[in-house]
Amino acid sequence: MSADRMPSSPAPRAVVTGASRGHGLALARFLAGAGYEVVVTARDSAALALARAEIAAVGRVSAVPGDVGDPAHRAALVERVGDRLDLLVHNASELGPSPLPALATADAAAFRAVLETNLVAPLALTQALLPALRRAGGLIAAVSSDAAQGAYPGWGLYGASKAALELLARTLAAEIGDVATVIVDPGDMRTPMHQLAFPGEDIGDRPLPEVTLPFWAWLIGQSRTAVTGGRFEAQADDWTLPVDTVAS
Amino acid sequence: MIPATRPPVADRPPEARGRARDQVRLLVSTDADDRHAEFRDLPDLLAPGDLLVVNDSATLAAALPAEAALGPFRLHLSTRYAPCLWLAEPRWSVERPGPLPLAAGEGIHVGRRERIRARIVAPHPQLPRLTFVATERPLDPTLAADGEPIRYRYLARPQPLDAYQTVFARTPGSAEMPSAARPFSAATVTALRAAGIELASLTLHTGVSSLEAGDAPVLYAEPFRVERATADAIARTRARGGRVIAVGTTVVRALETAFRDGAVRPSRGFTRRFVRPGQVHGAADGMITGFHEAASTHQALLAAVVGPEVVHRAYRTALATGYLWHEFGDSHLLLRRHGSSLA
Repeated sequence: MSADRMPSSPAPRAVVTGASRGHGLALARFLAGAGYEVVVTARDSAALALARAEIAAVGRVSAVPGDVGDPAHRAALVERVGDRLDLLVHNASELGPSPLPALATADAAAFRAVLETNLVAPLALTQALLPALRRAGGLIAAVSSDAAQGAYPGWGLYGASKAALELLARTLAAEIGDVATVIVDPGDMRTPMHQLAFPGEDIGDRPLPEVTLPFWAWLIGQSRTAVTGGRFEAQADDWTLPVDTVAS
Repeated sequence: MIPATRPPVADRPPEARGRARDQVRLLVSTDADDRHAEFRDLPDLLAPGDLLVVNDSATLAAALPAEAALGPFRLHLSTRYAPCLWLAEPRWSVERPGPLPLAAGEGIHVGRRERIRARIVAPHPQLPRLTFVATERPLDPTLAADGEPIRYRYLARPQPLDAYQTVFARTPGSAEMPSAARPFSAATVTALRAAGIELASLTLHTGVSSLEAGDAPVLYAEPFRVERATADAIARTRARGGRVIAVGTTVVRALETAFRDGAVRPSRGFTRRFVRPGQVHGAADGMITGFHEAASTHQALLAAVVGPEVVHRAYRTALATGYLWHEFGDSHLLLRRHGSSLA
């Protein structure tokens, strides 16, 4: 169920979407190093091939390029994952137009594209991988954003998609007992997507995406029942669970 | 903040200096003054109805021999994230810190009699001298067979693991002794209870401190757990007008982290909370701690509990009157004026 299975027992398996760069790449590389067999996916196949090579230097990885919104790609992922999946990270995100548009003039087609990638596709992929997740007693992590909660000017389309993704995640946690679902807000990071949100601005004061790795190390070590339904901020000063729900 | 005088360091435990654990000196600092006492006087210095909250984390023999392509080195385990995933500090030796040229993905062996295969995963993002290490199986056999307590240069000679356990040690997990409770003896605990002073425990496993010269103090996450019984004991103490005295900075950080909606709540997790003036809930009314480097995080925490004026004056007093520094040194009771709040 976590890093307590290195080579001697079957390696745990993880799927990370949007793993060709930024946060997804940092996380996939960490999981591979920690003993997971990682399946990475992203739309940009050239970038994904580079990412795969980088991850292969630290652990086991396979790459399946494609768009998670595409049923054929989801079928290819299911095929590659096989019978069990320990961790599914919905990391791929569509920011929408850059510079970020005000809602008064936001384009409906752009909104649909954001919802398709951030909301519809993750649910479809969850459904496709649910049997494998159930067999492993796995964990689904939906990568969200503080834009899901704060009404930041310009972030309305993206924030709405993430707010809805969070509701999907909490509802999954309420509906499904044998697979855990958590929401992860990674916080501001120096990533290509963050640069798109602030075109032309210097985002060098934001930490590199590796800043979230201690959080992920903690999360994969927790019991699934303790964390399910929770929302965690990876860069917070603490990651806290109530004691009373926990069998010690 | 502290005069540039080099403080006298305890290079061995008090037992090796001919004194019992509870015979170390105790500086008692309130907003009124600093007084000199012995640790075993503690029951007379507190009031019936007060509550001492202690850390029950036991110290691991966390310094292990290890080997990589570059040769033998020492691995100081800091924090267990999962049964086979640790944050650890590779060092050349006791004297020589890292960093070592170890690459992510590189295979290493940990232990000598119990050799366990492991792999370097990734450096810690804020403190790259520490690295995540994934092990093929749990390290417990190696810890038992090959581990030694982590020690630093100022110690005269290695001490056995027992020297690093407090009387409250129950849950193994600390890389370095939660040393504030070291002066407590079974007799002190009995005398405290007889004096109507309550004790409760929580757990916070310390990571490696090892701030080498030039390191910026960085706080990284450490595991903690506050049970309902302890949260209830704190609420009862508050209700009767008693004081909550935290034994150690670890306890202050755990209590502050567990503080929600006006009270300490049963909770567990990892915390790296930087407790400092203006950033404190006031979960503790006082504390017992040792004398440590002028590391800003340590003194900021003390200042958050009792106010910066008391801390400045107390450290001047301690330096002027020869209190011994570090984990085997003397002890310090700091009390906030009753009823006052810095929160």
